[in-house]
Amino acid sequence: MGYFSVIKVGLTALRAASVFASVGIACVVALEVLITSALAQQPDSTASISSGKSVGFLADNFYLPNDSMLGFVEVPAGTFQMGSNPLIDPMAFENERWSEARRQGAVDLPPFYISRYEVTVAQFSAFVEATGYRADPMSIQGAPDHPVSYVSWTDALAYARWLELQLKESVQAPTVMRELLQGGWRLTLPDEAQWEKAARGTDGRIYPWGNQPRKDRANYSGATTTAVGSFNCPECVYGLSDMSGNVWEWTRSPYQSLPFDPNDDRESLSEEALWVMRGGAFSDAENNARSAVRGAADPGARRPFIGFRLVISRQ
Amino acid sequence: MLSLPAKIRSKEQSRKKGAADKLSPQEEVRTLTGQSLFLVPAAFTFVFFLISFLPRVQSNDVIVLSFWLATSVLALWLVVLFMRSKRTGAAKIFILAKPRPQHYLQAMVHLSVYTYWGWYWPPVQEHALLLIAQIFFAYAFDILLAWTRRENYLLGFGPFPIIFSTNLFMWFRDDWFYLQFLMIAVGFMGKEFVRWNRDGKSTHIFNPSAFTLGLFSLLLILTNSTDITWGPQIASTLSLAPGIYTYLFLAGLVVMYFFSITLVSASAAAVLFGLSALYYSLTGVPYFLDSEIPTAVFLGLHLLVTDPSTSPRTPPGKLIFGILYGLGVFALYTILSSFGAPTFYDKLLCVPLLNLSVQWIDRAVQSLRDKPALERIGLGVVPSRRANLGHMAVWIVFFATMTLIGKTDGRHVGDSLPFWENACAEDRIHGCDRLLLLESTYCSDNSGWACNELGAHYAEGRIISADPDRASTYFARACELRIQAGCLNLLDPSTVSHTDPRSFDLRLLLRQGGQNLMDLPEDELYQRACEHGWQFACHNTVSAL
Repeated sequence: MGYFSVIKVGLTALRAASVFASVGIACVVALEVLITSALAQQPDSTASISSGKSVGFLADNFYLPNDSMLGFVEVPAGTFQMGSNPLIDPMAFENERWSEARRQGAVDLPPFYISRYEVTVAQFSAFVEATGYRADPMSIQGAPDHPVSYVSWTDALAYARWLELQLKESVQAPTVMRELLQGGWRLTLPDEAQWEKAARGTDGRIYPWGNQPRKDRANYSGATTTAVGSFNCPECVYGLSDMSGNVWEWTRSPYQSLPFDPNDDRESLSEEALWVMRGGAFSDAENNARSAVRGAADPGARRPFIGFRLVISRQ
Repeated sequence: MLSLPAKIRSKEQSRKKGAADKLSPQEEVRTLTGQSLFLVPAAFTFVFFLISFLPRVQSNDVIVLSFWLATSVLALWLVVLFMRSKRTGAAKIFILAKPRPQHYLQAMVHLSVYTYWGWYWPPVQEHALLLIAQIFFAYAFDILLAWTRRENYLLGFGPFPIIFSTNLFMWFRDDWFYLQFLMIAVGFMGKEFVRWNRDGKSTHIFNPSAFTLGLFSLLLILTNSTDITWGPQIASTLSLAPGIYTYLFLAGLVVMYFFSITLVSASAAAVLFGLSALYYSLTGVPYFLDSEIPTAVFLGLHLLVTDPSTSPRTPPGKLIFGILYGLGVFALYTILSSFGAPTFYDKLLCVPLLNLSVQWIDRAVQSLRDKPALERIGLGVVPSRRANLGHMAVWIVFFATMTLIGKTDGRHVGDSLPFWENACAEDRIHGCDRLLLLESTYCSDNSGWACNELGAHYAEGRIISADPDRASTYFARACELRIQAGCLNLLDPSTVSHTDPRSFDLRLLLRQGGQNLMDLPEDELYQRACEHGWQFACHNTVSAL
């Protein structure tokens, strides 16, 4: 057989292989389309997720909790004592001191609403899916009812901005909430005073449930995150979950010494940005699970122990 | 040995003629014949294959596969040719002639540029092995291509300048390196297939490297995929080598002396210097962003457009050729930027078009024959070495003058971001476009300050249409890069805050093409910033003193 015949046979084999490959690719594509459409038509079994406390999270409402305010709880107006008194709380850190002269300071806050749970993976994934937002892939890989982590401060703000827009326009959003948002209230991160008041209330307690650490009330000194709302906390002032532990929570406050200043920190622009986070995480010991603890991180940090929750407040 | 049928023989003879045309009649040549010559391309292919096992190649799977794919193609081609040669009994021939200076001298000049530039820009050093590999690939490919079309191959240094000059302007990133071999192959095919008859000799129309660079540039622009190449970095990092203009000028003198291409380079440079100066005097802003002639263009007008085989032969023709190159680059810079395409392609795209015009130019200038006035200034249609030396003297004086007035290696006003801030504030032409372009570049390089400024422009909507989403994106980036103002602007874009660049930002903003300023002492950094027009840095310098 001449080499031309060899080439001819080779070319025929190549043609046959390419036809075979094309048919194979077509089959794979068809199979994928079938599977995708079959999944899309499945009954809505995964549409709502439930936490350890059997709270429903509605897929058609951005996986927010199924209650009259979509999981937002009102914190009434009033004054509370911010910061730590080392005489009452021996674990207090220096940065929790109100000023040189005073250990704690009174902060008067107007009413606001704060989310009962930390923002979950499912909620954040809905945002990423809807917008194509470039999030850290790790942030959407956790269990859907666990708090989202691996989110930066800017990711948290982007989510808040998106959700605000959705709720403003969604007919499914409670009327009260829609009216608040349309009336100039903002859905955003809590500032650190809002966060601290929501965590400890107005009676100066050290932990959200009282003055003693309790492992049955929050996920701290642990190994990993738990589903939001897994810990029952009847003593917690506003019925909020995971204000201690689970994940540190971003606030909208730049890190600066107390006393707390509700105005933003436009005077020290030359300093490198550092933002306050509150509440401690699953991996922290009890001293970091206290309500007055002030952590700080780079706004671009995406860590497995940092997440966030939201507030609706008048700006 | 089988005898060839008459028809085939005459066809083969006519093909042989093509190769013989490459040699001048008085050139002494030797030939090597025999089936064993197949060992030569086999050896090139084998060495090329062996290189694929070196760590630089092994560091990336795509490069390894590219090498193996290229090796497979060459090996298969070699086997087919060998079997055909055995079957027909037609032995292959190597023609050995005296090495041609336009090959080895150009290659040496290219190599010296690589050495000097690579000393200051490490990616060149990392690319060195791949450059060598391309030479082996090029030899194997060129021999096989020639033997496919005829029996003989003129063995010399021809592939060196083609590979060197192609890589001096563009090479593909590791993940796309197979395109590099394709680009080289296209260059050689252009040389082999796209030919014309010039002065009674069959010769290639296009400068092989310029042909393939032009073609690939066009494709990269059309597919908006410049980022798969190192092209923009190559164009901007030549200036990292201190005194690069002077270096290229000196290297260019060698080429000018041996190949009498002074009129091409000098006229192109003079046109570009002249037009840049005219533009600046009319508008108050530089035409090219950071130089009178970008360094890569200066390199191109010495080493890309000056291939003696593809440029005009008469002095007036060379002069026109150079002027057209200068005008072409100048026009393409604006055309490319108006389409939003990377401007570094300006020096590459017009060369193939100019190559096409050389016969027309040489014919057109024949009407200048017997003009004593032109002959007196060395622009008669008959080339003379003496005239070339005269032109070189004029070029040396011209370049020296440009250097003395700071138009070559000196600091350029366009390097300074405050210059463009002022130009934008004063509404000078392209002032705001260039400012946005620079800030966008620096933001991509992780200058949080630049991202915040860019966000501010989109939030305020003064120099560009307001775009809150884009503003948020840039503020978020600034914030993640720890610019406090960026975070605050993200929280409340209605009150835009600005801040001075931090020292980290200054280390990026003052790089002038890519110098590494990360270890520059703080006082020198602020001194440099002050010289670039950053007023706050002058204050810092005074405080430090």
